[in-house]
Amino acid sequence: MDTLPDTEAEPGRRTRRFRISSVEVLCAILLIAILAQGRLQQLFDVPALRTGSTVFVAVCVQALPFLVLGVLISGAIAAFVPARVLEKVLPRRAGAAVGVAGLAGVALPGCECASVPVARRLMGQGVAPAAALTFLLAAPAVNPVVLVATAVAFPGKPEMVLARFAGSLATAVVMGWLWARWGKLEWITERALRRLPEVATGQRWRVFAETARTDLVEAGGFLVLGALISSALNVLVPARWFGVLGDQIVLGVLVMAVLAVVLALCSEADAFVAASLTALPLLPKLVFLVVGPAVDVKLFALQAGTFGRSFAVRFAPVTFVVAIACAVVAGVVVGVS
Amino acid sequence: MKRETQNILLILLGGALVKIAVNGDYLRYVKPAQQPWVIAGGAVMVLLGAVAIVRDLLAARAKVAAGAEPGTAPDLPEAAGHGAADHGHAHSTRPAWLLLVPVLAVFLVAPPALGSDSVIRTESRAPSSAAAANAAAFPPLPAGDVVPLAVNEFVSRAGWDKAGTLDDRTVALTGFVVHTEGNTLLARLVISCCAADAFPVTVRLRGGEADHLASDTWIKVTGRVVPGTATKENSYTPDFTPASVTTVPTPKDPYEY
Repeated sequence: MDTLPDTEAEPGRRTRRFRISSVEVLCAILLIAILAQGRLQQLFDVPALRTGSTVFVAVCVQALPFLVLGVLISGAIAAFVPARVLEKVLPRRAGAAVGVAGLAGVALPGCECASVPVARRLMGQGVAPAAALTFLLAAPAVNPVVLVATAVAFPGKPEMVLARFAGSLATAVVMGWLWARWGKLEWITERALRRLPEVATGQRWRVFAETARTDLVEAGGFLVLGALISSALNVLVPARWFGVLGDQIVLGVLVMAVLAVVLALCSEADAFVAASLTALPLLPKLVFLVVGPAVDVKLFALQAGTFGRSFAVRFAPVTFVVAIACAVVAGVVVGVS
Repeated sequence: MKRETQNILLILLGGALVKIAVNGDYLRYVKPAQQPWVIAGGAVMVLLGAVAIVRDLLAARAKVAAGAEPGTAPDLPEAAGHGAADHGHAHSTRPAWLLLVPVLAVFLVAPPALGSDSVIRTESRAPSSAAAANAAAFPPLPAGDVVPLAVNEFVSRAGWDKAGTLDDRTVALTGFVVHTEGNTLLARLVISCCAADAFPVTVRLRGGEADHLASDTWIKVTGRVVPGTATKENSYTPDFTPASVTTVPTPKDPYEY
């Protein structure tokens, strides 16, 4: 694999007169990096950096396959699902469409990274943004894989599974309704909303591959950014935060919500982490499980890249507050304590 | 960033994923069950990049054949209106450069599995299996003079098992050495998905045989638990009286699950 780029870069270079382009820059970076490999490894031989870089690679290795799944679905929607089919399937009224989108989230098992390109493509195909955003929040949180993982992590406590399902679904639907009522289209970058024209039958596979590729390049960069931030925080956030929260339920809820954002765990793993914190009561753990898949630094980076910064800075904080509220209400109603 | 560069980056990144999934290094980062996902994800990435490159080359050749000026960015004319090609130029693609970071990290730095630094950094926590089991009955240990046990399982039994299935039984544990606050610990990291969610389980080694070993040295110890030493106050770190301490090579799969 190491040798591939050289052979692939060759034709690109030959077809134009010499001019420094990104291909040359890439080759130069690779060359310098390979020559300086020894120095590089020395540099990373500090315990904190070593831990951080392992966590960074781990987050990338764990999340990228799900992002690939997401862009494949996105490409398939662009190529094979004409906008008019979606229009027929979804209710005309945004309020009702939000409910359908929330339940549709049950069908996409995968981490939150997969749902961002899919939600963006749904918008591009003319689905109401409120419904697409509901799907974005619901898909990683209420799918069967996540619910089973939660049940396994909390055996003998089915109320946790129920409360997580209710809290996450409520978060997604409430956010959808809030958007339908107050959301402004101009917050979302124009390129995310651009309608794809009808695809001719012979072009479907080409459109599929090209859409998936473009989405992957765009979202991948931001996923890496999110992984960088979350691995840095993973090393920097003192573990004592987990320890001192035993009795203070309000502080516990807030700290667990913040931790869910900064740790950016995959929604299939967070239940096990929450379960291992024996000192905490269940309600803060539930908040951790509802907030995590809805908003974290990795998702924020992905959303900022996909829908634009002015969207992300509005959407993420509101989601954070709504998710905490929904989790607490769901926890109290279901009887988690 | 040009299309060519993006495609090369995709191939590099996909190649990096496939490489670590095939040679087993992926076990430093994620759980074994992720392997097919990592391979498939990497392969699709390589494929998407390669297909785009081949298509661009064919389009460029067709253009040259048609007498057009060579060297202009190949913009799939037939896919007109679909917009992905020009769409790439409509806004900054600078973030795509970040795709290079994991490539360099995997190929050049190749970060090792988490070790003692991570244990010291993360407060040791109760194994989720034990916390979940809520002191439910543990089955008795299998017969035998020395029973090999996962550290996770050992700590769970030491902390929660009221029936005392560990008492007066010799067990064998494998883990790495951690020196902290004057104690020598045998530790193991437990992950449920990837290394980002790792948490340590630890055993305090009495007797001093392991004190001279460097941190992160992998050892196998046989010995017995000191009953009643795993408490909430010491984050469920039971004391262990080793009968033997031997260094072992780093296992291929460094985590417990």
